[in-house]
Amino acid sequence: MATLRTESLSKRFGGVEAVRGLTLAVEPGQITGLIGPNGAGKTTMVNLITGMLKASGGRILFGTSDITALSPSAVARLGIARTFQNIRLLKEASVLENIVVGFHCQEQTGLLANLLGLPAARRERRRFTAAARELTVRFAMEALADRPAGTLSYGHQRRIEMMRALAMRPSLLLLDEPVAGMNDVEANELGAIFRSLADDGMAVLLIEHNMRFVTALCDTLYVVSSGQMIASGPPGIVMRDPTVIAAYLGDDADA
Amino acid sequence: MLAQQVANGLVVGSVYALFALGFTLVFGVHHVLNLAHGSVCMWGAFIGLIAVAPDSVFATGPATPFLPLPVAFLLAMLGGGVLGVLLDLLAFRPLRKRHATEFAALVSSIGASLILISLAQQLSQTRILRFPFGTFPLQFFRFAGLRISSLQIFIFGCVAVLFAGLLFYLYRTSFGRQVRAVAVNERAATLLGVNPSAVYLQIFFISGALAGAAGVLIGLAFNSVNFLMGEPYLMRAFVVVVLGGLGSVTGAVVAGLLLGLIQVLTVVYVSSGLSDAIIFSILFLMLLVRPTGLFAGLRRDVRVVRG
Amino acid sequence: MTGWLLAYLPLLASAILDCGFAFSQYVVLRAGVFSVATAGFASLGAYAGALLTMRLGLPPALSLIGSLVVGAAAGALLSIPLARLRGVFQAIATLAFVQIVLSVSLFVEPVTGGALGLNGIPQAVQLWHLVIFLLVLLYLLHALGGSSIGRAFDAARQDETVAVALGISVVRYHALAFTLSGGIAGFTGGLYAFNRYSLVPDQFGFAMLVASLAAVVLGGRISVLGPVVGTAVLALLPELARGFAEQRYLLHGALLMLVIIFLPDGIVDTAKFRWRGAVRGNAAH
Repeated sequence: MATLRTESLSKRFGGVEAVRGLTLAVEPGQITGLIGPNGAGKTTMVNLITGMLKASGGRILFGTSDITALSPSAVARLGIARTFQNIRLLKEASVLENIVVGFHCQEQTGLLANLLGLPAARRERRRFTAAARELTVRFAMEALADRPAGTLSYGHQRRIEMMRALAMRPSLLLLDEPVAGMNDVEANELGAIFRSLADDGMAVLLIEHNMRFVTALCDTLYVVSSGQMIASGPPGIVMRDPTVIAAYLGDDADA
Repeated sequence: MLAQQVANGLVVGSVYALFALGFTLVFGVHHVLNLAHGSVCMWGAFIGLIAVAPDSVFATGPATPFLPLPVAFLLAMLGGGVLGVLLDLLAFRPLRKRHATEFAALVSSIGASLILISLAQQLSQTRILRFPFGTFPLQFFRFAGLRISSLQIFIFGCVAVLFAGLLFYLYRTSFGRQVRAVAVNERAATLLGVNPSAVYLQIFFISGALAGAAGVLIGLAFNSVNFLMGEPYLMRAFVVVVLGGLGSVTGAVVAGLLLGLIQVLTVVYVSSGLSDAIIFSILFLMLLVRPTGLFAGLRRDVRVVRG
Repeated sequence: MTGWLLAYLPLLASAILDCGFAFSQYVVLRAGVFSVATAGFASLGAYAGALLTMRLGLPPALSLIGSLVVGAAAGALLSIPLARLRGVFQAIATLAFVQIVLSVSLFVEPVTGGALGLNGIPQAVQLWHLVIFLLVLLYLLHALGGSSIGRAFDAARQDETVAVALGISVVRYHALAFTLSGGIAGFTGGLYAFNRYSLVPDQFGFAMLVASLAAVVLGGRISVLGPVVGTAVLALLPELARGFAEQRYLLHGALLMLVIIFLPDGIVDTAKFRWRGAVRGNAAH
């Protein structure tokens, strides 16, 4: 069963229909790509799925649950994590501290435990910090774990965002242009991490502009243009579809 | 009787409008609530009073007239403008430099207002001062069954002239165009060659001058000048700018007049003790229902609501 | 020595109460809510407590619980309409709330005594009560700050969009912050009433609003010691600057401006941050 499915999703802003009749499915263990020229509605889709925008029509199904009307924090708590196009980190906090924020949904001990200074609260905190450190190992940033996030390179900051999203132990990971502005080497390193996450069973939805990256990495592709789906399927076939090529001819996305 | 109250309400409202004009102008361009606006207004009244009868402020003897009212009025506006500029330079510019939050600007303006109030308190030695009797030649007219004083006409007239002047400045001069550009998008305006610092200085000068004018008018109208006189108007200004739309000049005037009417009518027909509660409840409701106000302001995308 | 100490006891009581109000302001600012409603909550709590004892004959201890409940309820109720507002609009709305409370308490004379207020409130709260209160409050807020609630507040304050994407229901935590703020202010208001002997509406106006805000701005809105240090500085100012007794407002104003421009995070948080930076810097080498 698909981890996430949208059925005829649409969103209207005043008179403008940003997204119309979009139906897609994201399977577990696969990397699904959502691509399209600028203004096609990709970010609108992400915002709809995560609940930041209210859909004008259609449904969003997470497993068997209808999450169309849920608030963003409720959607996140169900196990959908996302990264942002522009990096949103706490610049002054350390890498570890940034990641630990992602463990919030899993916090068991609350006020009372803290009030009584229960060892359980401290133990949990230590557990989260250790888990955060493990993530830094996986992302090859162990040595930088205690550095302030704002002092690190763009590529590193993107990884921190990724780790924070993973701290939520999501079943679905939404990546909004995760390799924008990176060179091929960095992008491929991240791509390998996405691949290993998918191989572990996670469903990954990747929104990107970088064609080469997407074609090499994704198992399935959905192409949107002007808010509508124009093609879907394995990358090899989709990229040769004349409608897709036509949609991109007027656009200056890098090939 | 109702018509009389309406007339009174419009005059009171015009003062609210004048006060709110400067306030909303600064918000529209700078996106900060200048909580020192009330104290600048108060200083306008003080400067006007010092110009007209310095002895009444500095000494306690009989007030000997010094400068005529029109000159005093202009001096008050000039003084208010200078105070406005000082506010920008000392309270707001340092914050702009480090891209501080709206919260910081608000707090800074509170601090500045405390300083201005304290200085006035010491100057006036906490007395309530008055413009000398006869500063403004008071005459009463009967018009269509209404009793209107020359002072009321003067106030309404001043506000109308100043409002027209402001509109002209904003929409017919190149300075005004620059102001509007900065209001919509400061960075884009800078790229287009506008100097934002100059724009801010102008705006604060004009805002202060308008506040100073309001101060003199209030001092004349209520025959009282004291170091806290500006604060109630500041509270009213919140209601005016939310009703009218933060940053909207026309909105400030329309809402100001409306508020004046509401104020007078609730005092007369409901209860003077509850008029404040009613007015602020209107503000509260407005914030819930339509926080952007009746008119769109100079600035179009005010981040008001979540999401 | 004891004579000198005794002379300062009233100052200490007053400072502890100010600190309580500052903590009410602190809670909302820490959660990223731009509320200045503290003075309004304080007024409600103070009058509720005093009236419960004076009109209904309840013992002060029970009335104080009433103060707490009234304040917390007001906070919870206020959070509902304010959930949709942000930034300066929250500030304006809460300012309107304070004005409304002030206005109504002046108006309902038969209940509140109007402008003359209430007199003859039993002085049930002594200094040692207040000291215990402050210590307990400090402990509670410290525990809160270190709990998942405190972390959620921090996340909501620093970046709401991210907080929400991480599963933190900002609406709920803001509501909690409002309720806590109301409860703390209400209870402190009750203590104020039973320590003071009389209540007047004007005590809960703009002056209290500015004082509470100033204390948090001065001290810091993250560390729990922030409001304590801020209140202490404000309380000691008139003592240190004896010559400037008349210019109290001026000093407050200048201090506010200087701090917000040069030390925007407040004394305690700036110090903490610098110290941590130094420690981290040393650890890295």
